[in-house]
Amino acid sequence: MTHGMKEWFLRQALEAPKRSILVGILGTLVMGMGLRWFVIDDDMMKMLPEDIESRIAWDAVREEFGSTEVIFLAFGREGKPVFNRENLAVLWDVSRALEDLPEVDEVFSISSMTRMDNEDGFLEVSDLQPSRDLTNDEIKGIIDYLNQNPKMMKRVVSRGNDYFSIMIRPYNDVASDVFRNQVVKTAEKLLPNYEVHFGGSAYLTGTIPSLIRNDVAALMRAGLLIMVVILLINLRSVPAVGMVMTVIILSLISMMGFMGWVVFLTGSDRFLFTMLNTSMPIILLTIANSDGVHILTKFFREYRHRKNVRDSVWKTMHSLLLPVFLTSVTTIAAFLSLVFAPIEQMAGYGISMAVGIAWAWWLSSTMLPGMILLKKWDLNSRAVTHASLFERVIEQFGYIVIHHPKKVLVLGSAIVGIGAVGITLLNIEVNIVTFFKPGTEIRNSIEFMDRELTGTMDLELRMEGDMKDPANLNSMLAIEEHLEKNPDVTTTISIADVIKKMHRTVMDDDPAYETIPDTRGKVNNLFTLYSMSGDPDDFSSLVDYDYKTGLTTALMRTVPTSEIVRFVKDINTFIDKNIDGDLSITITGMVVVFRDFVYLIIRSSFLSIFASILIITLIAALFFRRFLWGILAVIPLISAVILNFGLMGLFGIDLSHVTVILSSIIIGVGVDFAIHYIAQFRYFSANGTATDSLSREVVHDVGYPIILDAASNMGFGALLFSAFLPIQYIGGLMVFAMISTSVATLTLLAAIVELMKKRLTRSKS
Amino acid sequence: MKKVLICLLPAVIFAQSGYDIAGEMDAKRKPHDMRADLTMVLTNARGQTRTSTIRSVSLDGGKKQIIWFLAPADDKGVAFLKIERDNKDDDMRLWLPDFKKVRRISSKKKGDSFMGSDLSYEDMTNRELDENDYRLLRSEKVDGRDCYVLEITPKPKIKSTYSKHITWVTKKDLLPIREESYDRSGRLMKKKEIRYTNIKGYDVPVEIYVENVQKHHNTRLTFRNMELDTGVNENLFQEKNLKRLPR
Repeated sequence: MTHGMKEWFLRQALEAPKRSILVGILGTLVMGMGLRWFVIDDDMMKMLPEDIESRIAWDAVREEFGSTEVIFLAFGREGKPVFNRENLAVLWDVSRALEDLPEVDEVFSISSMTRMDNEDGFLEVSDLQPSRDLTNDEIKGIIDYLNQNPKMMKRVVSRGNDYFSIMIRPYNDVASDVFRNQVVKTAEKLLPNYEVHFGGSAYLTGTIPSLIRNDVAALMRAGLLIMVVILLINLRSVPAVGMVMTVIILSLISMMGFMGWVVFLTGSDRFLFTMLNTSMPIILLTIANSDGVHILTKFFREYRHRKNVRDSVWKTMHSLLLPVFLTSVTTIAAFLSLVFAPIEQMAGYGISMAVGIAWAWWLSSTMLPGMILLKKWDLNSRAVTHASLFERVIEQFGYIVIHHPKKVLVLGSAIVGIGAVGITLLNIEVNIVTFFKPGTEIRNSIEFMDRELTGTMDLELRMEGDMKDPANLNSMLAIEEHLEKNPDVTTTISIADVIKKMHRTVMDDDPAYETIPDTRGKVNNLFTLYSMSGDPDDFSSLVDYDYKTGLTTALMRTVPTSEIVRFVKDINTFIDKNIDGDLSITITGMVVVFRDFVYLIIRSSFLSIFASILIITLIAALFFRRFLWGILAVIPLISAVILNFGLMGLFGIDLSHVTVILSSIIIGVGVDFAIHYIAQFRYFSANGTATDSLSREVVHDVGYPIILDAASNMGFGALLFSAFLPIQYIGGLMVFAMISTSVATLTLLAAIVELMKKRLTRSKS
Repeated sequence: MKKVLICLLPAVIFAQSGYDIAGEMDAKRKPHDMRADLTMVLTNARGQTRTSTIRSVSLDGGKKQIIWFLAPADDKGVAFLKIERDNKDDDMRLWLPDFKKVRRISSKKKGDSFMGSDLSYEDMTNRELDENDYRLLRSEKVDGRDCYVLEITPKPKIKSTYSKHITWVTKKDLLPIREESYDRSGRLMKKKEIRYTNIKGYDVPVEIYVENVQKHHNTRLTFRNMELDTGVNENLFQEKNLKRLPR
């Protein structure tokens, strides 16, 4: 920030405070008008990048065979046999009602399934449940048929025969939240007298985003309240807290309004508010709060000595304009680096955050001093006359650091070293089931599906090759057999199973023929025979129209991501060793795409951390005109990143697409403290403070706002009470991030600067 | 009372007219036999297509029909025989050349799809005049042609997969050119469009398009090389002839 710029900003605040306030409000209003087009999008699918290999294969599967993201709906009464007239009539009604939903492509239940029978040598395809109201003989016929077809049975009835299961498949272009809401609404309407369980990836992806957002919104309000209380206790002035809050709220409105404007002007999906964006308000809040807290605490201190508002504001802003500008520029640069992230939404995230931070900086540099200037402050108030609790504590803290810098440095480095070990223990978990604590309704439902039905996860194997070739079909069966050896695989489905069943049926229901026929011609004849009685779309989820691509689906119980990774590797090894011929196989499915997606997020987050650290180093070096300052500026940040991720590893907190956003929070606030420290060190040094008392003065000056800033953000510890484990972890880790970044600044950085003070002041520029 | 009479009068007239029109359609001269090559293009909801070519020979207005599959290569040799019998289930058989077996096809379910198409066996069977009720709904123009719009409802005793049909019949030639068929629950199920050509004074279909709107699947059937009244021998419609692919 040049001298001219600094003067300009000082003039805005001191000579035209009302205009500064007006510009801030008007600017926010213009930006806020974009809120009309602010779109909350709960479609998790939009988050998944379209160009990763598993997503390409998955999209191909969805294009050829319809959506693989289904909802499982189970209903019944525990311990009571489900096969009776009343329950089957209800199943019929529910299946029909679900089929009638415009979002639904296919419903798979006893009421919608077909059966294959040998009818005087003919392969007769007919409805398994012929009508709504059945006779006892018809019910017995259904039970007998399912008993003969255990794979089918598993998919539609629970192990204890006390629940019916319905699988509902949406159309490809339907958002999972819309689909989920329609299915749940229909089930709740038609099944009031039953125990109902939901599962399936579409149910989870359709449920989680809004649940998380609502949860975070409620806890954020609690967090804000705590923040206000902590600020009030320390600043002891309602108007001062109100000013900080004004800057925060106006920044939030502007950021969200900006997102709306971009959506309106460009229609870009990148600026929709998705689950990934849930952390944005929290991060902006912490950053905007930081600027306000530093300015107000500095002002009170100056006012205590100078007894003149105008002089105090001038002194405050003269001293803080540069660090506030620098902290904003570095954080903006860090967020803008997300433009190069492989996930499209992250670009929108980064740009919107950058706009929000820029506006927070503008408001803190013009509107906030303007408001301070216009307020009639009481010189005798406790806020002005007395040092706050944190101020007194920090005096003691500073004394220890400055008198024992080596010990502090060694101890701090040791702690960071332990953190570095913890990083090696980090576990990546993308299974969204683990978002829910055991005992919650959703987790219970999922566990029920895993225990009683076919589970709620699935893997898809896309098989490219001639689907009428017996060799390929036998390979598919061999793969299915291998898949079923995994105890977490409940069943597998493929066109090869259907062909086996058709073959047996055509050969007078002789079990010896429950095999793949020996010639391609025979396989083709079976399809022809089926087509004389069955529906042309009956196989559409198993084989494509040209019989060139098939799909094998393995339904699974919930397993950790690491198990999925291992299982996929195991399947690939089996295929490499045992499957010859022209069958080309790709393993995909939502879990595989999510695995790749999260790896991508994690990779891009770590890349972003390194890029941000580099950018921040360069910016700090440039503005402080010395490379050493650049390096010192990122020491607390690096320490905090190592400590936070290390602690996650040590305490078994999984790295997921939710917890990984923590790095953004650390970068957002971590660098601010260091820049404030360095800026004040240089400011005092340049203004003639003696070298020996430099560190004490700096800790005295910036220690309090740093601690107050960190403490007020601990309101987000409220997130610890979230129903979602990752949000709980974020709450806990945020608290720790605040402590680690502020303490690292006031210990590690302060100790290093103290140890190097002669060198740093000798060559000051 | 007068008002009621006035309101009811047109309905009575239309009810009579509907049946009359159907009767006139039924009385139209039909070829005794027909040979044709048909191309059947099936298109599913994802826009994927499957094309088959078949040779069909029929007798007695389609009451007896034999079909051989010529293409695709996979289906070549498969053959189908249908004989409609009064007051009895139709006799339908299919020759599976690779299994070397003839399989009788159940005729229990008239709504079953024929060869994966959107045409069911019921669609392919002649509609008996007295098995349905007819109501003339209105007159309407379709592609510039004046049409009667008939509602055709299967009588309660008749087993049908449909609850009713709405049929557009040209006034000039009494040809059904468009039809909507509704399932048993009254929902629109299929839309059909038929184009005709005139050979030897007979109006015969040259293209039939059927769309199952519930399943987003459609079938286009195109007729080529049509020959009418060539004196097809009744003995052709026997099981043994299924195995002999015609030249």
